[in-house]
Amino acid sequence: MLNPAPAFTMVQAADSPANADLPRRAGAVSITLRGVEKQFDSGVVALQPIDLSIAGGEFISIVGPSGCGKSTLLRIVAGLIQPTGGTCERAQNATAAFVFQDAALLPWRNVARNAELLMELEGYPLSERKARAQEALQVVGLAGFDASYPHQLSGGMRMRLSLARAIALRPNVMLLDEPLAAVDELTRDVLQEELSQLWLSTGFTALLVTHNVHEAVYLSDRVVVMSARPGRILKIVDVPFAFPRSPELRATPEFARLTGEVSAALRHRE
Amino acid sequence: MAAIARRASPRSMLLRIVSIGLPPALVAACAIALWYVLTITIYKGKGFLLPGPQDVAAAFVENGALVFEATLTTLKEATLGYCAAIVLGISFAAVLSQSRVLERSFYPYAVLLQTVPVVAIAPLIVLWFGYNDFSVVIISLIISLFPIINNTLLGLRSTSRTLVELFAMHHTSRAVSFWKLRLPGALPSIMAGLRISAGLSVIGAIIGEFIIGSGNSQGGLGVQIIFAQGRMYTALLFAEVIAATALGFLFFSAVSIVSNLLLRHWHESASAD
Repeated sequence: MLNPAPAFTMVQAADSPANADLPRRAGAVSITLRGVEKQFDSGVVALQPIDLSIAGGEFISIVGPSGCGKSTLLRIVAGLIQPTGGTCERAQNATAAFVFQDAALLPWRNVARNAELLMELEGYPLSERKARAQEALQVVGLAGFDASYPHQLSGGMRMRLSLARAIALRPNVMLLDEPLAAVDELTRDVLQEELSQLWLSTGFTALLVTHNVHEAVYLSDRVVVMSARPGRILKIVDVPFAFPRSPELRATPEFARLTGEVSAALRHRE
Repeated sequence: MAAIARRASPRSMLLRIVSIGLPPALVAACAIALWYVLTITIYKGKGFLLPGPQDVAAAFVENGALVFEATLTTLKEATLGYCAAIVLGISFAAVLSQSRVLERSFYPYAVLLQTVPVVAIAPLIVLWFGYNDFSVVIISLIISLFPIINNTLLGLRSTSRTLVELFAMHHTSRAVSFWKLRLPGALPSIMAGLRISAGLSVIGAIIGEFIIGSGNSQGGLGVQIIFAQGRMYTALLFAEVIAATALGFLFFSAVSIVSNLLLRHWHESASAD
C-alpha cells in the first residue's frame, strides 16, 4: 500500500529550516541504478553503464544534449523500457507517476475525469478517486474547472492538470520528462515554483529530465550532467541552497556560479 | 472560467442562419430558373427528355403516396444495411487492430471487398439470397462496409504513443486500454468513416433495387425509378431522383449531427461548419 499520505498543503516560501528537517524525507523511496545500460535493437547504444544512487525524497535533475539517452534513462526507472544491462532498484511498494512533455491528457474527458485517470487505472474506488482528484486540482489551482475540457485550457493549465493527475495518485516517485519545455517562459517560472512547493509538501522522490540548466539548478538537490550519445554521466553537481528556495535566488552570484558549472560540464567534450 | 459561453441572441442567430442559408438558396433559385427557361426554349415539347420544374412538382403531388412509400422502403433497407455495416465494420477492425499478423492476413481482402465493383457482384448476391429486400440490405451493407473498417482501423492504430506509455505505466490490461484509450481515441476517425458510409448505404440500397427490379411490386425508389423509366414518365423519374437525393442527404445529416454531439468537446474535429 501507499505510505501515509501527507496532506496537500502549500509551503510558503519564507525563511526556511534546513533541508533535513523537512517532512519530505519521511517514507520516501530511494532509487539505485547499478551499471544500467541500454542498446536498442537497431544497435544504437543509448546508454553506457550508469551508476546513480538517489536518496529517498531527493530531487534530481538530469541535463544533457538532445538524444543523450536521458529520456531513455527515465523510462528505465519507470519500468517502461528494460535495460540491456545492470539493474534499477526501488522499493517494491513504490508508486511512480510519470509526467510527459505534452500534457498527455485524454481530450474526451473533462478536467475532473482526467485527474481521476491514474487512480482509475490502479483500481481505486470511485468515491476516493473523486475526493482525491478534487484535492489535487485544488493544489494546482484548477479548482472550479472540473467540467472544462482540455482544449479549453491554456498550455500552462494543461500541464497543471497533468501534474494534478500525477499527484492525485500520491506517488512516492515522480518522473518528469521535460514537463515545462512546451510552456511559455512566464508560465514556466510559476510552474517551477509550484513544482518545488509540491515536492516540498508531499515528499516524493523526484527525477526530472530537462534542457533548462536554470530550471535544473533551481529545483534540485543534485544535477546530473550527461554526455551526448552514447549517454553517460559526465558530472554530478551538488546544489547546496536550502529549501524552500525563493525566486530571488536566481539573481545571486552563487546561483550563477552553479549554472555556469553545469553549462561548462555540458559544453565539455572529449 | 476558460470556457467562455457564447450565447448568441435570437436576433444574431437569425442573421447567422440567413447569412449561411441565403447564398445556396440563391444558387438553387437560379438553377431552377435556368431549368425552366431550357424547358420552354430548347426542350420545348420534349417533356419526356426534360420535364419542367412545374411538371416534376405535379408528378410529386400526383404520386405522393407512391414516392413516399418507396422512399420509406429504401430508407428501411439502407438503415438495416448501414447498421449491419457499422456493427460488422467496427468489430472487424477492432479484431484486426489487436494483432499485426491478423491485420496483414485479412486487410488485403477488406480492400478487395472495396475494389470489386458492387454492381458486378450484386446479381450474384440476388442469386444467393433471392429477389427480396434481404438481398438489397446485403448489397447496401457491402458497399458501406469498407470506409468503416478502414477508418476505424486507422483510428485504432493512431493512438498517441505517450498515452500508450502512460497506460502501460499503470499496468493496464489490453481490454481496459482498448475501452478507455484506443476506442475513444479512434472516435473522430470512426465517425469520419460513418459519414462516408451514410451516403453509400443509400446508394447501395438503390443499386440493389435496380437488380431485384420488379421482383417486388411495391419496391423502393430503385424499383420505382426503373418503372418510371419504362413508362417514359420522366417527370416522376425526376421526382424519385430528388427523393433519393434527399434521402441520402438526410442520412448523411443525421450521422453528422450524431457525430458532432459525440465529438463536441474535442474542438477541431467537431466544429465542421
